[in-house]
Amino acid sequence: MATLAAIFDRFTSPRTIEQPAPRTRFLEPEDPFAVPAFPNEDVYFYAKRIANSNVLRVADPAARKTCWRMIGYSFVLAMLVISLLLPTLYGLMAGYRMEALRQEKARLDLDRAALELQETKLETPARLEELARMQRFVDPAPESVVYLDTKSDRILAKK
Amino acid sequence: MDILATKRVHMLARLAFLWAALIAGRLIQLQVIQHGEYKKLATRQQERVIEVRAPRGMILDRHGERLAMSLPVESVCVDPLRVPDLGVAAGILSQILGLDSAELLGQLKSAVDNRRGFLWIKRKVTPQEAARLRDLKLEWIEFRTESQRFYPNRSLAAHLLGGVDFEENGNAGIEQSFNEQLQGHPGELVLTEDVQKRGFKSTMETEPQPGQDIHLTIDSSIQFIAEKELKEMVQQQHAKSGSVVAMDPRNGDIVAYANYPTYDPNDPPKGQDVSAREDLAIAAPFEPGSVFKVITLSAALETTHLRPETMINCGGGKITLFGRTIHDDHRYGILSMEDVLARSSNIGAINIGLTVGQDKMYEYVRRFGFGSKTGVPLPGESAGMVRPLKHWQKTSIASVAMGHEIGVTAMQLAQAAAIVASGGLRIKPRLILDAPAAEPVRVLRPETAITMRRMMEGVMIKPYGTGHRYARLIGYTSGGKTGTAMIYDYQTRHYTHFYNASFVGFAPIANPAIVVAVTINHTEGKTGYGAPASGPVFREVASSALRIKDVPKDLPEMLPSPDDGQADDNDVAIADLGSSIPPPLVQAGNAAAADDRPVASAKDAPDQRSFLENPGSGDAAGRVPNFQGKSVRDVIQQSAALGIPVEFTGSGIARAQIPAPGDVLPSGHAVRVEFGR
Repeated sequence: MATLAAIFDRFTSPRTIEQPAPRTRFLEPEDPFAVPAFPNEDVYFYAKRIANSNVLRVADPAARKTCWRMIGYSFVLAMLVISLLLPTLYGLMAGYRMEALRQEKARLDLDRAALELQETKLETPARLEELARMQRFVDPAPESVVYLDTKSDRILAKK
Repeated sequence: MDILATKRVHMLARLAFLWAALIAGRLIQLQVIQHGEYKKLATRQQERVIEVRAPRGMILDRHGERLAMSLPVESVCVDPLRVPDLGVAAGILSQILGLDSAELLGQLKSAVDNRRGFLWIKRKVTPQEAARLRDLKLEWIEFRTESQRFYPNRSLAAHLLGGVDFEENGNAGIEQSFNEQLQGHPGELVLTEDVQKRGFKSTMETEPQPGQDIHLTIDSSIQFIAEKELKEMVQQQHAKSGSVVAMDPRNGDIVAYANYPTYDPNDPPKGQDVSAREDLAIAAPFEPGSVFKVITLSAALETTHLRPETMINCGGGKITLFGRTIHDDHRYGILSMEDVLARSSNIGAINIGLTVGQDKMYEYVRRFGFGSKTGVPLPGESAGMVRPLKHWQKTSIASVAMGHEIGVTAMQLAQAAAIVASGGLRIKPRLILDAPAAEPVRVLRPETAITMRRMMEGVMIKPYGTGHRYARLIGYTSGGKTGTAMIYDYQTRHYTHFYNASFVGFAPIANPAIVVAVTINHTEGKTGYGAPASGPVFREVASSALRIKDVPKDLPEMLPSPDDGQADDNDVAIADLGSSIPPPLVQAGNAAAADDRPVASAKDAPDQRSFLENPGSGDAAGRVPNFQGKSVRDVIQQSAALGIPVEFTGSGIARAQIPAPGDVLPSGHAVRVEFGR
């Protein structure tokens, strides 16, 4: 019989046990042109013929129970493992996300600082004066400022 | 179970045990025996220490406008021992960073020879340069984030802000004085990375401590106007330098602090010519000239019987003291004390100083803060130059009375003017908005300060006042004093015809909101006197400051009248002192501090009793003589002889007088005489 146990036995059995005659001798080609047999052909190509049409399965309620119990245990164990590993996994993913956000924050801080510098440069008194000059703004001359008098009438400006 | 099956099970069990034992042994070797070594390796591979930036604090003006700020920039460095080919590396880096290839190669070789594992290639590179280097993806090029100081307003308040060195340590101005507060301390972050160098866990080892922001009392708008006006005037006068200090006399806040020449702190001058970096307003004492008459007259009001209307003999522009004859450009005869100030008579000021006396004069010079540092938080402040009283010569009182033989800074002048403006209180100038205000020190009685304000207003509103033409404000009452001091040449030991042109003033009179001190150094000619040189700067700065501070106008807006051109601008403090007097500023400023104690009397002081001994009384009973029918000259002579203060109106013959002849003149009052044809 070419089972794993038979192979195992070949290496472990004592030499004193009589080896059965190799089966290849029965397969020796009579025809000189026939393909020679493979090594251990009897092991690899042996097909055991079993006629189990008469075998009936015996009902075993205890085995069924055991099976369901194993399934239950396995499920609980799986859930336990998942519940233990899930926070770590989420933590890892959150860590990636946090680091990405931290880097983005650092980059945005840089951008903000650069923009603040730019904004300050745009608001310098020297630039504002230059803009005023370009727009032809001038300081009002003495006596040319008229203060609004909203009490006497509804005229908002004079001159 | 047959025997073969049993053997098989045993064999399998042995193999499994051996296998497990091998694994366990290996695990023990890796995780227990070599734990430290592998942990180090793992740490080196997975963890990275990142420096968390702690930016240097900003410097802001009183409204929160940014005057100085720091931005992160990148610097390039390499580990020369890891560079595969030094020549190629030098070529690449020098081309992108604009460096000298041969020099860089030399530095790299030197570092390799000395087994140095670090070399700066270029610090604070531009973002474009950094991006080009990153694109090369060369693992031996490293980047370090550093910080760079920016001054967005360029030269605005440059001397006040100062600057920083390459390591961002302050080396001048506020940056230096408040380096500890401004400087941040970077933190350290340990970042755990995966195989793709993506961080997934970080631990802050050291928290970063950003530098504190500092709010100055400066108003950037007023500062800009002060710098602009100062620059224009210095250039117009072909002067060497100038300073402006504008101060709120109510709390001592410095709202503008300008020097010229100035510089851009983003690119400070290097090499030999760093004169533009000198903070003249606090570090360069000068002889103030006639502006110092404010102190002389204040001391006189406090310590003598002299009143604003007291007539002072101006000697026709000449006085001889202890063999030394002093000539004045002004040839005034007799003037009231307020006119001595308005017309800036030197002989009048000398006579008033002689009445005050050396002891009291010295005491008031010190009480006004001269000879002591004002205490502004800026490095290199000078205490000025005030000789200790024991070193005063017989004629020193004459010189000091008109602002010579004494050295003051522009900041000290502003502080002194603020004493008058604040009602007699000396308030420490304040530059930091959050700093607690120092306890004011009373220097003058309130009534003296108010009298001085009125007299200083006369300088501006009287048609002959030296400040009338150039310094008078439109829409606001104002008081001030011009000053023109000849500059002493230490080589020739003579006074030159170059001037320190000064002006101190405040506005409005009733409740001063701004004090401005202006000095223009090394002016020349009549246009370089205090009034035409410094007066306009005062006018523009004070007007703008009052407008910006929303101070309501207390005068109608009147255009300058045609008589404004009649004022005598000549207020040169020394017209002819000769060469016999010693150099005015040979004494170090701290010598004054050494002699800080009040002097009770000076035995070697000359007899300084002036002819103004008994004002306010025409005779022994203090009755008023009859001036009616007399000419102006006669009235002046008679009143001067009797020491009676007189106010004149009109011209010709005296027609009326108040009080009437024979009446007793109350102390502090003057006889009003009306003349007519």
